[in-house]
Amino acid sequence: MKKIINTVINGKEYELALEQNRTLLEVLREELGFTETKKGCDQGECGACTVLLDGKPVSSCLVLGVNIEGKKVMTIEALATDGRLHPLQEAFINQGAIQCGFCTPGMLLVANALLNNNPHPTQVEIKEAIAGNICRCTGYVKIIEAIETVAQETKTC
Amino acid sequence: MHLPKFDYLEPETIRETCQLLKTYQGESMIIAGGSDLIVAMKQRLKTPKYLIGLKKVASLQGIAEENGELIIGPLTTLQDLVDSATVQEKMPLLVQAAREVGSPLIRSIATIGGNLCLDNRCRYYNQSEFWRKANQQCIKAGGRKCLITNKTDRCNATFSSDLAPALIAMEAKVTLNTPESERIISLADFYTADSTKPNQASGGGMFLSKIRIPLPTQSLRGIYHKHRKRQSIDFPIVGLAGTMEFAGGVCQKAQLVLTGVGSGPIIANTAVNKLLGQRLTSELINDCALAAATGIRPYKTDLTTPSYKRKIVQLLVAETIKVLGGISE
Repeated sequence: MKKIINTVINGKEYELALEQNRTLLEVLREELGFTETKKGCDQGECGACTVLLDGKPVSSCLVLGVNIEGKKVMTIEALATDGRLHPLQEAFINQGAIQCGFCTPGMLLVANALLNNNPHPTQVEIKEAIAGNICRCTGYVKIIEAIETVAQETKTC
Repeated sequence: MHLPKFDYLEPETIRETCQLLKTYQGESMIIAGGSDLIVAMKQRLKTPKYLIGLKKVASLQGIAEENGELIIGPLTTLQDLVDSATVQEKMPLLVQAAREVGSPLIRSIATIGGNLCLDNRCRYYNQSEFWRKANQQCIKAGGRKCLITNKTDRCNATFSSDLAPALIAMEAKVTLNTPESERIISLADFYTADSTKPNQASGGGMFLSKIRIPLPTQSLRGIYHKHRKRQSIDFPIVGLAGTMEFAGGVCQKAQLVLTGVGSGPIIANTAVNKLLGQRLTSELINDCALAAATGIRPYKTDLTTPSYKRKIVQLLVAETIKVLGGISE
């Protein structure tokens, strides 16, 4: 039996009729077409499916779709606004923090949540924030540098 | 991996929750944060016909100070515990243990109640349905034998909660509800040492509705050590929560609680008794560490051997006592 839920995804209100056994990841990718949210391990270990739920990064493969009732979801699709890349996206490109790109949506959203709460994190805090996001290409150094760059830029503004 | 089909029920009160658990006993399960249960359901380890969500039960959320106790709702997320100014100030040990669970992504979903009710784990049990079908089923999955010991007597899956040892070391209690009753028991008594039903709420007859922790005295010090494969996310190979209180250099109060080494949380009683009423010496510390290590009987439920776990327990107990006793190398 389907359940009707009301939610806000990327700033837009949705009324959705969801099968009760659908995860948020499945709802986003298969029903709403937000396919930039990646499906990785599907067990909450890799962080590829990260979205922000009420501003906090979560693994969407571990959240029931019916549990986003009344909550705000942000996917990577909403990070760039008005056709302009977010400073974090620019920094990832400029620092070479992307290789295959599979972990990038999750990394960017985690970094975005971190900088929203703590605009000038230390390197340790950055490492702690991205601890749940696995990257098998870059070795993390470039990713950390990219996040540090944005934190530095906002410091000097 | 899609989730199996289920009916999602959303009670609004504790009484209603208990009633649903009773009505659908054996067919229903509570879902708190879901970070462990959803994986188990995807792996078809758990296939409840009814899933009881608690998001609408307001009384299960929040942290409050009341009559010398900190009362924590079981639906409080681990990240909320870590961020709570009250918990940071009154119970840094609990913050430390909560920070050690999973990754930040998990901690935003996982709850304190869920961590206390975490199912026991084993390398033969926590696998995909496909993997398990290639082998014979173990006792926990409905088979006859424990695939670690090759015996039929008992399941040996390992208790892996990080918060339970910290809370037991702080003498926490829990409120358990049935449709007819409400009772408060010590958290240590909540656990059964039965790996197939590790706690009193496992069978579905009871429901954990509150966690109550006495506010510690100023002089009580606590620490949680977790040894694991990957710093960022893993369950403990060994976890140890310790609390100690000294007066005039003499140990007045001590508690050492282990996780990851048995069917439930294990209190290192022999080591604790050696410490009480004594001044710390290196000989005493080594003696306690050895007693704790030889007092456990771990099984190879993950990729580490029992002797490795004992060695780690020995090291962690010694380190914990030194830190709490203010002894530097």
